[in-house]
Amino acid sequence: MTATQTPPARAPRRGLPSMTVLGPILALLVLLAIGMFLNENFLSHANITNVLARSAFIGIIAVGMTFVITAGGLDLSVGSMAAFIAGLMILVMNAALPALGIGVPIILLGMATAVAAGLAAGFLNGILITSLGIEAFIVTLGSMGIYRSLVTWLADGGTLSLDFGLRTFYRPVYYDGILGIGWPIIVFAVVVILGEIAMRSAVFGRHCAAIGSNDQVARYSSINVNRVRLMTYVFLGLLVGVATIMYVPRLGSASASTGLLWELEAIAAVIIGGTVLKGGFGRVWGTVIGVLILSLIGNILNLTDLVSPYLNGAIQGAIIILAVILQREGRAGG
Amino acid sequence: MKHLMTGLALGALLAATPALAQDTKVIGVSIPAATHGWAGGMNYFAQEAVERLEATYENLDFVLATASDPAKQVSDIEDMLATRNIDALVVLPFESEPLTGPVQGVAESGAWVTVVDRGLSQEGIEDLYVAGDNPGFGRVSGEYMASKLPDGGKIVVLRGIPTTIDNERVEGFQAATEGTGIEILAMEHGNWNRDDSFTVMQDFLSKYPEIDAVWASDDDMAIGVLAAIEASGREDIQFVLGGAGMKEMVKRTMDGDAMIPANVTYPPSMIATAIEITAVGLVSNAPVSGEFIIGSVLVTPENAGQYYFPDSPF
Amino acid sequence: MSEPILSLHGVSRSFGAVEVLHGVDIALRPGRVHALIGENGAGKSTTMKIMAGYQPATSGTIRLDGQPVTFADMAEAEARGIVMIHQEFNLAEQLTVEQNFFLGRELKKGWLLDKAGMRAVAREYLDRLSCAAHVDRVVSGLPNSDKQMLEIARALSRDARVLVMDEPTAVLTYAETDILLEQVRALRAHGTAILFTSHKLDEVKAIADDLTIMRDGDVVYSGPAADLDEHQMAEAMVGRDVSNLFPPKPAAPAPQPVLEVAGLAVPGYADDISFTLNRGEILGIAGLIGSGRTETFEGLCGLRPHRGTVRIHGRPVQIRHPWDALAYGLGYLTEDRKTRGLLLNKTMRENLTLQSLGAFSGWMIDQKAEEAALTQAIGAFDIRAGDRAIKVGNLSGGNQQKLLLAKTMLAEPDIVVIDEPTRGIDIGTKQQIYDFIRALAAQGRSIVVISSEMQEVIGLADRVLVMRLGRIAGEVSGDRMTEDDIVRLAMGVEGQGREAAPMEAR
Repeated sequence: MTATQTPPARAPRRGLPSMTVLGPILALLVLLAIGMFLNENFLSHANITNVLARSAFIGIIAVGMTFVITAGGLDLSVGSMAAFIAGLMILVMNAALPALGIGVPIILLGMATAVAAGLAAGFLNGILITSLGIEAFIVTLGSMGIYRSLVTWLADGGTLSLDFGLRTFYRPVYYDGILGIGWPIIVFAVVVILGEIAMRSAVFGRHCAAIGSNDQVARYSSINVNRVRLMTYVFLGLLVGVATIMYVPRLGSASASTGLLWELEAIAAVIIGGTVLKGGFGRVWGTVIGVLILSLIGNILNLTDLVSPYLNGAIQGAIIILAVILQREGRAGG
Repeated sequence: MKHLMTGLALGALLAATPALAQDTKVIGVSIPAATHGWAGGMNYFAQEAVERLEATYENLDFVLATASDPAKQVSDIEDMLATRNIDALVVLPFESEPLTGPVQGVAESGAWVTVVDRGLSQEGIEDLYVAGDNPGFGRVSGEYMASKLPDGGKIVVLRGIPTTIDNERVEGFQAATEGTGIEILAMEHGNWNRDDSFTVMQDFLSKYPEIDAVWASDDDMAIGVLAAIEASGREDIQFVLGGAGMKEMVKRTMDGDAMIPANVTYPPSMIATAIEITAVGLVSNAPVSGEFIIGSVLVTPENAGQYYFPDSPF
Repeated sequence: MSEPILSLHGVSRSFGAVEVLHGVDIALRPGRVHALIGENGAGKSTTMKIMAGYQPATSGTIRLDGQPVTFADMAEAEARGIVMIHQEFNLAEQLTVEQNFFLGRELKKGWLLDKAGMRAVAREYLDRLSCAAHVDRVVSGLPNSDKQMLEIARALSRDARVLVMDEPTAVLTYAETDILLEQVRALRAHGTAILFTSHKLDEVKAIADDLTIMRDGDVVYSGPAADLDEHQMAEAMVGRDVSNLFPPKPAAPAPQPVLEVAGLAVPGYADDISFTLNRGEILGIAGLIGSGRTETFEGLCGLRPHRGTVRIHGRPVQIRHPWDALAYGLGYLTEDRKTRGLLLNKTMRENLTLQSLGAFSGWMIDQKAEEAALTQAIGAFDIRAGDRAIKVGNLSGGNQQKLLLAKTMLAEPDIVVIDEPTRGIDIGTKQQIYDFIRALAAQGRSIVVISSEMQEVIGLADRVLVMRLGRIAGEVSGDRMTEDDIVRLAMGVEGQGREAAPMEAR
C-alpha cells in the first residue's frame, strides 16, 4: 500500500533549503546590497547600531506575536499597550522620585511596573479570549482602543515626560551597552534566542503549533488548549513590557502617539518571516528577518533621495508583498 | 485683517456683556482628537474654554466632539445638526475637502459657522475664520535661520504629516531662506511625532557628515531630533529650531539653552479664542464676523517669559 | 452490450517519480452500475479523479462516446455530463441546504435570486431521496448522512450522464443506504452510467452489474459482478486469504473490574449509563448513529460535561478534562481521525508524540527520542510511508488510523476507548488493526470498541453493549451475539427485521 490518495509530498531537495526558507533571507540580502550600493555609510557601525536598536522594540514584541499567531490568535493591542505601559511607568517613577531619589531602586521599580503591567494586560486579553470565547480580533481591537484612550487620559491629551534628572540616569539603558553593542540589541538577541528555542524545541512551541493547526486535535490529544492560548497572550504582554523598558529611556516620554501602528508592523514582520497568519506554523528567526526588512526599508529611504518621501509607504508595501510572494514557490498549485 | 494676539482684547468684551436670560443656545465644537502634542494642547484649550463659558453664560450649551479621522468628524457634525439643533458650530477641520460639504450644510441651516486653523475648500461658507498663519510660521522660521547663519550653512528639515499646513509652512520657509546661502540638504517627514523624527534624524546623521542646523518645524519633532543628536555625540550641529511653543521647549529657550535658541509660536489656544468670539457673537450683538489671523511670533530668550504657560499640557 | 459512454484505455498516472496507476482499462456503459473496489491506496480515487477531470492522466487515452478527449478541469467534464460526488464533503458549511444545492448556478429572476424557485427545486430533489433536512438549515448543523444526501441530490439535479460516486454509503445508516441504492437503481433504469466505490462488499454484490478490482495501481479483475462472491472479491483485493478476518477470542479469564461506571449522564446525549469493564477484555458498543455512543464515551473521557460515578481500579475518580483521563490511564481514540485525531499538515513524528510530549522533554524536546519512538511505532503498527517526513494528510486512511492508534498507545493507557477503529479503511488493514487490538487486550489492557459495523463488533468483542436513544438497551454475549439480536436492541423492536424498522430519532 502506498500513499496515493493525494500527491505525495514534494520530495525535499537535500542540501538546498526551499524558497520558504530562502525567500525572506534573500529579500534581506537584496535590501542590504541596495543599501550598500546607495550609501557608503550604510554599513557603518553607527548606522547598523541605529537600525538594530530601533528594530528592538518591534522585534521583541514581534517574537511574542509569533507565538500568538502560531497558536491561531492575533493581538492588535500591543502598540497601545506599549504606550499605556510607558505612560504608567513614567507616572510611577515620577511619583516615587521624592521617596526613592534618583538611583537604581527607582529604575528597578519602573521596570517592575512595566513587567507587571505587561503581564496583567496580556492576561486580561488572554482570559477574555479563552474563557469567554470572544474572537481575538474583537477583544484586542477593544483593548487597543482602551489603552490608547487611557494613555491620552493619563497624559491629559499631551505628553508624559520622565523627570529630567531621572531620564539622564536611565538613559544608558537605551544608549549604552557592552562592547559597543547597545542594550536594546542585546536584550532583543536574548529574547530571540529564547524564543527560537521555545518555538523549535520546547513543549510550549509544539503545543502552539498544534493548536493553531487544529485546536480540536489538540483538545483530543489532552492538551490544555485554553491554558496554552492564555500563555501566548501573557508571554506577549510580558515582552511588550520588556520592550517598553527599553523604549522609555530613549526619549523619556510617552504620549497618545507612542507606539502608533506597532501592532501592524509586528504582525507584518511575523508574516514576512514565514509564520502562517491562520496559525499552525511559526518560526522566530523568520520574524527577526521580517523586522529587519521593515526597519531597513525606512533606513534606506532616509539615506537616499531616490523617491519622493510621499512614496515611502508604497515602497514599504511593495517590498512586504514581494517578500511574501518569494516564499510561495513551494505552495503553488497546492 | 485684524491681528489678534491673545484673548486679551476679548476679555474686555466678555466682561462688558451681561448674561442675558434668553432661550438656551447650543454651540457645537468639533475638533480632531489629541493624537500629537499640538492637538493635545488644542484639546486642552477647547475643553477649558467650554467649561469656562458654560459657567459664565447660563443660556449657552456646548457640545464638544473629538474625531480621530475626517469621516468621524463628518458624522459628528451631522449628529450635532440632527440631534442637538445647534445654533453655532466651531470647527477645526481635519482636512479641508471632506469637511466642506457638511459644514456648508450647517451654514445653510442658518447656524453660525466658525472655522478654525484650516480653511474650507470653498470660500464664503463661514461667518468667522480664526487661524494661525502657516506661511508666516515658515517665513519667521526661515528669517530666523538666515539671521543665525549669516554666512550660510547646511541644514536638514523635518516636515510634519503631509497636509496643506505643512506645505504652506515649508514654502514660506524656503522663500525666506532663498538666496541667503542656506543649503537645505534634505527634507523628510517626521509626522509631528517624536519617535519618527528620532529615526529620521539618526539617518540624516549617518548620511551627512556635516550639518550646521536643523529646522525641526515642531517642538515634538525637535525633542526627537535633540535625542538623536545627543546619542550620536556629534558636535557640528549648532542649534535646532522647533516650533509651536511647547512649554518645555519655551522653558529651555528662556533658560538660555544654546541648542534651542528660539521658538516660533503657533498657539493651540486659537481654538479657545474662536469659541469665545463665537459665544460672544451669539449672546450679544457685537460684530464678530470676518477673519482673525493669529500671527506667528518669534520667541527668544528675551521675550520667552510671555509665552511660557506652565499649566498647559503643551 | 451497449457501447461505453466513458472509458479509460491504458491510463497511467505518476506523482513525481512515483507511478501510482499502471495502464488502467475501465469502461462505463449506459444503464449499468459499475463497482470499483480495492484496498485504500490501490488507485481507486486517482482513477475516478481522472475520469471526472480533476486530474490529468500521465499517459493513455480517455474516450467519451468513443472519441478521445482531454478535460481541462472538472468544470469541463461536468459540462459534458460527468459528475463526481466526493468522499469528503464539498459543501460550504455556513450556507444553507438550498444555497449549497445551487452554489455556482443560482436561479435568477431578472438580476435578483429566485429564492422561492430554488427552495422548491431543492426540496423536490431531497424528497426523491427521502431526505428530511430543511432547505433553510445551515449545513454545518446537519448530520453526515444528510450532507451526503445533499451531495447526491445536487449531482442528480445536474442531469449527469455519468455519475461517479466515491464511497457514498460510508456515513449512511442502513435505512439511508437502502434509499440511496433505490435511487441508483432508478438512475440506472433511466440510462445513466454509474461508477461507485465501497468497502461494503454486500452492497457491491447487491447492486453492481460490472466490477473492476484494483490492487497496487493495477486492474486485477474486470468482468461481471455476478461471477464473484464476496469472499472472492475480498481475496482479489487483498491478494491473499482473508477468511480469518478476526483474531480468535481467548477463553474469558475471571472478571477483574478495571473501570466501573454508574449512572453516567451526558446532558443532551446520554443518561443512566452503567457498566463494568474487566481487565484484558474487549467490550463492544453497538447502536445506530445518533444513539449517543460517541458522546457517552467522550463524556467519560472528559471531553464533554457529564455527571455520574466512575471508578478506576476500584478508586472513585473525577474526570473533568481529557488530561485527567490520561492521568488515570484512560485513553480515547476518536472516530474522526481527520479533524480530531491527527494534525494533517504536520509530520508523523509531531503527531505521534503530541499526546505524550511530557515524556520526551525536560527543558527541551528530545527529538532523537521522538525519532526512536517513531521508528518503533512504524515497526510495531506496520505504518507504511515512503518518507518519514511526509505530512500525515498525505498518508492513506489505513496508515493514518495505524498512526492514530500508535499515538494513543504511546501514552500507555491501561484502558483504551477506540471509536470506529476501521472506518473507511480497506479489508487488509482492518485485519491488521483487529490483530493489534486483540494483542493489546492480551497484554492486560482493557478495551472498549465503539463501531457502526455490526460484523466488527461481533467478530472482535468479548461482550457487546447496545445503545439506543442515549441509554443502554441491553447486553449480548456468547451465542446471543448475533446481528439480529443487536439490531433488535438498537432499533427497540422485538421480532422485526431491520428493513421494517423506522429511522432512528435524532
